[in-house]
Amino acid sequence: MTPMSHQRRLRRLVLAVAALLLLAVLAGPAWGLSDREIDLRVQGITEMLRCPTCQGISVRDSEASFSQQIRAKVRRMVEEGQSDDDIKAYFVSRYGEWILRAPPAQGLGLVVWLAPLGALVLAGGLIGWRLYRSHQNPTERLHQEDKGSLTPDQRERIARDLQRFEEED
Amino acid sequence: MLKSWKFWAVVAVIGGLTAMFASGFGHDPKLVPSPLVHRPAPGFKVTELNTGAPLSLESLKGTPFVLNFFASWCVACRDEARLLESAYLRWGQDPSKLRVIGIAIQDTPEAARAFAKRYGKTYYLALDDAAGDVSLNYGLYGVPETFFVDAKGIIRYKQIGAVTPEVLEEQIPKLIASREQP
Repeated sequence: MTPMSHQRRLRRLVLAVAALLLLAVLAGPAWGLSDREIDLRVQGITEMLRCPTCQGISVRDSEASFSQQIRAKVRRMVEEGQSDDDIKAYFVSRYGEWILRAPPAQGLGLVVWLAPLGALVLAGGLIGWRLYRSHQNPTERLHQEDKGSLTPDQRERIARDLQRFEEED
Repeated sequence: MLKSWKFWAVVAVIGGLTAMFASGFGHDPKLVPSPLVHRPAPGFKVTELNTGAPLSLESLKGTPFVLNFFASWCVACRDEARLLESAYLRWGQDPSKLRVIGIAIQDTPEAARAFAKRYGKTYYLALDDAAGDVSLNYGLYGVPETFFVDAKGIIRYKQIGAVTPEVLEEQIPKLIASREQP
């Protein structure tokens, strides 16, 4: 074999590998996805999308014509190698944030996400405060509650009476 | 009692909930504002139901158009059918001034043709493909829906439900005027 023909074969091999790599890049993330994997991705994405003609049902769970078309479109987009975010962005650009069943965790949507946590913290705080108050010494509580409305003499008398009751018990 | 913070907290919660429900019940859940309004109209390629003449967004460059999505099985589409035809006869006779286009969705060519004949539609009519690409690109919730697109290809208004004479009277002159705007 002459050095010239060896070089030519090497060049062909490099070109073939480059063409294969290019094909793989063009095929994108869907390259090599099995039907089962495509099904799972389509189900996951369509679960996040709201059926346009129903009330509170996902595209995945709806048999409405629009939902069927959306499912088919999502499948085509997955097969073309588009990412979940790309597919969601396409539907948001056409239908607005309304099409997403869960609000985005940003802007006003973040308030919706954080509201239950805030309510939980508030409720926990209230319960903790009530428990703390119920375990406080009654004399001490009386002092705190009636500081403004009782005279020092009255507070002293009440404390004395309470002390007496506790001793009698 | 009126000084108690607990009383005012309960009033605030009940008031807030009442306002929220009142606002929710006052809105039609179908009337979701389209993100496409004031944005360029999505592209489309269709063929005429009877003649097979092609039409695309590119071929409408510089011409305002009214794009109506309908279906032969849709009751509200019957209500607006003659209104759209009247609008076409009044403003759409010169195709460089205004185009009126109807696209049937989730329909068969035969049913769409029969519907057009029954209601005397003579403007450009086409059928969306089985995949519903045009409907999905325009973010349709149902039929009828009508888009008013100006000479620059920007969607200026979207009517959800049957068009009314008032809507046509208000929107179409604005579209025609957009041809002269720089």
